[in-house]
Amino acid sequence: MMVEVPSQSEVPEIPEELQRNVLITGVDTIYNWGRMYSIWPMVFGLACCAIEFIVAGTARYDMARFGAELARASPRQADLMIVSGTVTKKMVPQVVRLHNQMPEPKYVIAMGACATAGGPFKEGYNVVSGIDKFLPVDVYIPGCPPTPQAFLQGLVKLQEKIKGQSVTQVPWYRKDQRDEAIPIPVLGPDIFDPRQVEAIKEELVKQRAGETQAETEEEADANGAKPKKGITKAPKLPQWDISPTEEAQTLADRIHQALGEGLVTPEKDTLLVAPSRLIQVGEYLRDTQDLAYDLLSNVTGVDYLGRDPRFEVVYHLYSTSRGSGPLVLKARAPEEDPQVSSLTSVWPSADLQEREVWDLYGIRFPGHPNLKRILLWEGFYGHPMRKDYQEAYYEEPTKPFNSRWPGGHHTLAESKNPYSRNSVYPKEWDPDEYTPVGEALAVVDAKDLPRTGIRTEKIVLNMGPQHPSTHGVFRMVVTLDGETVVDLEPVVGYLHRNHEKIGERNGWLMNMPYTDRLDYFNSMGNNLGYALAVEKLLDVEIPERAEYLRVIMAEFNRVLSHMMMVGFLLNELGAAFTPLFYTTKERELILDLYEEASGSRMMCNYMRFGGVARDVSQDWLDRACYLARERLPRKLDELEQLLSDNEILVARTKGVGVIPPEVAVAHGITGPMLRAVGVPYDIRRVEPYGIYDRFDFNVPLLHNGDLYDRYLIRILEAREALKILDQALEGIPEGPIFGGRRAWQLRVPAGEAYGRIEHPKGELGYYLVSNGTGNPWRYRVRSPSFINLTALAEMCKGHKVADIIAILGAIDIVLGEVDR
Amino acid sequence: MLGFGVVKGLAVTLEHFVETYIDDLKYFPRRYSEEAMESRQRVNGRGIFTVQYPEQELTHAEAFRYIPFLVFDEDKDSVYEGIRCTSCGICAKVCPPQCIWIVRSLDADGRPIPQPAEFDIDIDVCMNCGYCAEYCPFDAIIMDHEWKLADYDRFDGHIHDLERLLKPASYYEKIRPIQYAENNLDEEEEEDEA
Repeated sequence: MMVEVPSQSEVPEIPEELQRNVLITGVDTIYNWGRMYSIWPMVFGLACCAIEFIVAGTARYDMARFGAELARASPRQADLMIVSGTVTKKMVPQVVRLHNQMPEPKYVIAMGACATAGGPFKEGYNVVSGIDKFLPVDVYIPGCPPTPQAFLQGLVKLQEKIKGQSVTQVPWYRKDQRDEAIPIPVLGPDIFDPRQVEAIKEELVKQRAGETQAETEEEADANGAKPKKGITKAPKLPQWDISPTEEAQTLADRIHQALGEGLVTPEKDTLLVAPSRLIQVGEYLRDTQDLAYDLLSNVTGVDYLGRDPRFEVVYHLYSTSRGSGPLVLKARAPEEDPQVSSLTSVWPSADLQEREVWDLYGIRFPGHPNLKRILLWEGFYGHPMRKDYQEAYYEEPTKPFNSRWPGGHHTLAESKNPYSRNSVYPKEWDPDEYTPVGEALAVVDAKDLPRTGIRTEKIVLNMGPQHPSTHGVFRMVVTLDGETVVDLEPVVGYLHRNHEKIGERNGWLMNMPYTDRLDYFNSMGNNLGYALAVEKLLDVEIPERAEYLRVIMAEFNRVLSHMMMVGFLLNELGAAFTPLFYTTKERELILDLYEEASGSRMMCNYMRFGGVARDVSQDWLDRACYLARERLPRKLDELEQLLSDNEILVARTKGVGVIPPEVAVAHGITGPMLRAVGVPYDIRRVEPYGIYDRFDFNVPLLHNGDLYDRYLIRILEAREALKILDQALEGIPEGPIFGGRRAWQLRVPAGEAYGRIEHPKGELGYYLVSNGTGNPWRYRVRSPSFINLTALAEMCKGHKVADIIAILGAIDIVLGEVDR
Repeated sequence: MLGFGVVKGLAVTLEHFVETYIDDLKYFPRRYSEEAMESRQRVNGRGIFTVQYPEQELTHAEAFRYIPFLVFDEDKDSVYEGIRCTSCGICAKVCPPQCIWIVRSLDADGRPIPQPAEFDIDIDVCMNCGYCAEYCPFDAIIMDHEWKLADYDRFDGHIHDLERLLKPASYYEKIRPIQYAENNLDEEEEEDEA
């Protein structure tokens, strides 16, 4: 640009730099104005906050008004990375890689407490304490989660920052200041930053030296009762009466008659099975006509540290045809090399869950076809759910921590860690010698390919964890023959934020807000499931009004979740955003009600053991009535009018992703997915909880089991939910909303309980073991999204790549719940 | 007939498009007046749903909770005397992510006095669950409505100390009038009984 610059002689008073500034200011104004209103964010979301980011783009908040609606799926076209949600160690290499791929000028917004500094999950073993440890962050948005408006405020802050930049100063036009690519963190025994290798080596040398010193010290006062590091007092093992119930005894006798003596021992209402004979017992229970336990719903491990045998694997069995259950099987394994034979051959639904038990507890399952780590990565040091595992920020075995009060001088957890990060490495580890264990990819042998005419090869395609249509950080390793899927393996764990580990350190009440963050579309449902499970152990009476409020909240949640599922599914089928915008609008109105009742849009934290947290006003009920009786039915009609007959939708979904009912049950599929293949299994009917037995509603059933039915069943179920809402809003009585005394401290009687509810996504179960103290001994979440993924490969085989996306969308997974 | 389903769907989008303009006519010529915005956010609202942030803002319900703050009563001689918190520590103990740090005041003899000497909340750990406020026996810690917290630096200001946390009771009354009135009533009743 040619601009006349006044010569030195004419204006001798003004220094040279300032003269240039007058000109540059003009250029800067235009340059920055252009950049401020054309920020292109990357389509990139990690956790709950990402939902608020998506919502900020929809009708109510309309990010387009800031010129920032053009979200790009490719980092190479984007200039803003919004790190929205918990950054896990497993995910951070990908985040850094994506950042490196973005062209300059690039900006980073850390959205929410987790991305800023680890948030409520900071203490977890797989959580990074803030993305700014790895990337330069421009704007931080506090909040958990920030509301969409708070996000927009952050965006405005970023615009202000851009406005303050000058074209003469910005580093991306200066050769000497251009940023080098950020070294990508490596997944070792724990995550490590290549920039820290020297520091790590030094620290480990120090630790090794310290260890020998400590050993000699220990020898010196071997007689002295020096408490072992970590567990300061011996944990109180859970104990309860194990005399067998009549049913358990009868069943055990039957098994003994059929299969021989000594296979099972009845313990209370559960059956203890010899670990090596599980398959035999399992087959008997599944195949005997009047037992027919065809659904293995939950598999989990428990670590009874201090008891022999130390480990226990617990199985919850149900019968979909008889509606009976749960039958609880247990198998025990010793501390040294614990092994329990795999049940995948009897119930394929054990597949992912057994891998999880191996990953978190280190119990091996001989006979499992693919026993790899699932939530963490191959090479991770230790099995974190074991009671004696200590993460980097470990403070005490249980909360509340003594350091907080009465002498609670604030200290950051980072400041106590030698690497000022949330990482810990085994002493004997040497970073130089280490080569990362890659996720093994399927290698295709050319021999098993047909050699007719053209010679083709199968290829392995890696979709995710950063992909616009995987609903978050989910990865699929797909083996393709041309465009057809031959095999598929889901890879999860990119949002594994240690929910269960933190849950076992938390007090009983403290877990309630954490459950909000499981399936972040359905916090009310998550709350309800947890409250019901704990109430099984507690003896509390729930007042009528609270029961009704629980049903109202949970059913609104179902409508909301199903509508959002339709919106997202249509996005994935290519009908980008129209259905999603319409459904988000209805969601916003329901969330307004939630905010008024509970205080938060998404993270409601509304249920308590014995009732609910707050009462609602008559005005609230009137508005809820209007929504449930007039607006939402109309909107569901509208959604059907928009979609149900649409030829493109029908062509894309009819006959795609079909699985037979028995395969679905065997793979542990529950919820709408199961009812879309014609199995009438609804927990509200089979095992009514709360006051669901009082309502008149149908269980919709479809029989094709294809994508179209999975879409349609959601609409039908949403209608039934509205029917329940109508009755609940009609029948809600006046009265108290809480039974008993509100106490912040809570001791739960020793025992075990499995509580489950019909979640919008399937069976949401909580398996709890209490040792009679203020903290759960075992806290396990049986999440429907995770277990529904077991059948993903079955559903996808033989279809095209474009269909995988839709099939995944129809399962309706939420990664917060898949990875926990 | 092939294509009819698509046409039906298009009719829905057209309806949405037209509807916004019909609603605008009601508020002609001011499309985005406060009154219009408010009516459009209701459950029976029609028309354009967008809130023109930052010119307009969505108001929050009384129960809305964001980062907590500490209340001080203004009728006392100094701010410090007005602090309602007695440093009993319930909030720190009930806090799920353990983001509250309290140092209890001690008198000259080393006996505890019901005043916090230090009070820190790490807002980068806080999960806005509201337990601290819910279980506080003195109505001393309250969940705030202030959500405009985005900034450029987290090391200077994300640990809220006593000075930052303290807000007057009149502010509490402003953001939560119903709760404030209810709790005041309770206190008066207690005083009457005494």
